[in-house]
Amino acid sequence: MAANDFRAQESANKGKTYFLLASMGLLTGLVAYAALTYFGAGTSTFMVPLAVGISLIGVWGSYYGSDKLVLKMTGAKLIQREDNPELFNVIEEVVIASGLPMPQVAIVVDSAPNAFATGRDPDHALIAFTTRILEVMDRDELQGVIAHEMAHVANRDTLVSAVAATTAGAIAILSDFLMRMMWFGGGRRDRDSSANPVLLIVSLFVLILAPIAATLLKSAISRRRESLADATAVSFTRNPAGLRKALEVLATDSTVVHQKSNAVAHIWIESPLDGKAVSKMFSTHPPIEERIATLRAMESLGN
Amino acid sequence: MEIIIALAVLGLLVLFFIAQYNRLIRLNISVDESFAQIEVQLKRRTDLIPNLVETVKGYAKHEQGTFDAVVNARAKATTASGVADVAAADGMLTQALRGLLAVAEAYPDLKASSNFLSLQEELSTTENKVAFARQFYNDNVRNLNTAVKTIPTSFFAGFAKVTEREFYEVEDPQDRNVPKVTF
Repeated sequence: MAANDFRAQESANKGKTYFLLASMGLLTGLVAYAALTYFGAGTSTFMVPLAVGISLIGVWGSYYGSDKLVLKMTGAKLIQREDNPELFNVIEEVVIASGLPMPQVAIVVDSAPNAFATGRDPDHALIAFTTRILEVMDRDELQGVIAHEMAHVANRDTLVSAVAATTAGAIAILSDFLMRMMWFGGGRRDRDSSANPVLLIVSLFVLILAPIAATLLKSAISRRRESLADATAVSFTRNPAGLRKALEVLATDSTVVHQKSNAVAHIWIESPLDGKAVSKMFSTHPPIEERIATLRAMESLGN
Repeated sequence: MEIIIALAVLGLLVLFFIAQYNRLIRLNISVDESFAQIEVQLKRRTDLIPNLVETVKGYAKHEQGTFDAVVNARAKATTASGVADVAAADGMLTQALRGLLAVAEAYPDLKASSNFLSLQEELSTTENKVAFARQFYNDNVRNLNTAVKTIPTSFFAGFAKVTEREFYEVEDPQDRNVPKVTF
């Protein structure tokens, strides 16, 4: 089996996700430890669970109700089979190939070709398409796009990104708390006076840099999940050319979705923030050329 | 103390056995389910055929041979049972339908009729669904057969009464036409 086929791609991307999620956990531990060194046990035993709790409540709500919430945030409208039988035909084909339950289908009126998937589990999945993507794509390309979205559903990417967002959120809240306490409370109240000064400085750096590191890790996880979804999509359709052509259409199209909120930027098949992204390290999607090249490599294997 | 450890080890072993047993049963059920999905899609296709044949007949009366091939293949497909039989009938019908659509190519009036266009869309999506249902079934068979043959699940296969299953292979003459390479 060649190194670039979809099965190898899938397991590589899954492995990297686990590694990144583990790094997230490690980072949280590091921040908690830094808090402990800097502020002593009294403050940290209270702060750390509080930060995790706040983040958990915030993210859990949006994860659990993701299908309904995203409908509101993107202005997508649910449609039934009668509204677009041909689209439903293609979706049903991919549903059979994936063995997943039939998702809800929605349409976003928008002049940019794009699509997304959400929902807390395969039974509450929702996939949505802009009106434009249905106009510009032929059946094969659309099948590739649908397979990519169903791949997100199969890989439970709403859950993965919720976990990543909770951790990143907890780290951000925690470091924010601690920084404020440092400025206003003078900090170090219950600190052991014999604490190692080097350790203190390191802890301070950890607190300052952790939120950025968490954001970078979150973006890296999102990029891995996109690559994984491309590979899983090929395992559904066994036709890398369809998705590759679809991505080429998206790459040549410069219009971006007029979305109501940047908070849902990461769920689209093509990032609507492309032009605005600060750098490659912060973007939620791998470069589209890279995704096309990977699919091309799969095509040459004939699977 | 020793008795607690012994009980814990025993408990873990039992859990491990249950997990292996259940995995085999689940894989076996998913093979059955995915075969049922193939049959559902094949049924959809056979249901489409009378309408399609009638529509084509309206424009192309003199293609009796093609119609007969489709009708015969359909009759075989409706009575077939068992993986190998169903697959063979499926392959025949796929061939016959290809012939029918090729005939339709020669009649511009037919190709333009809205009835034919909607039937063609139905037929092509059903063909795709049949193909994906086959692929999903074969993936499930592959997973089951791997589990039946590999350790540790292989130890439980006899106990769970789960055996290797048959792949769904369609005879398609077009697949055998390997392009000739000349140097």
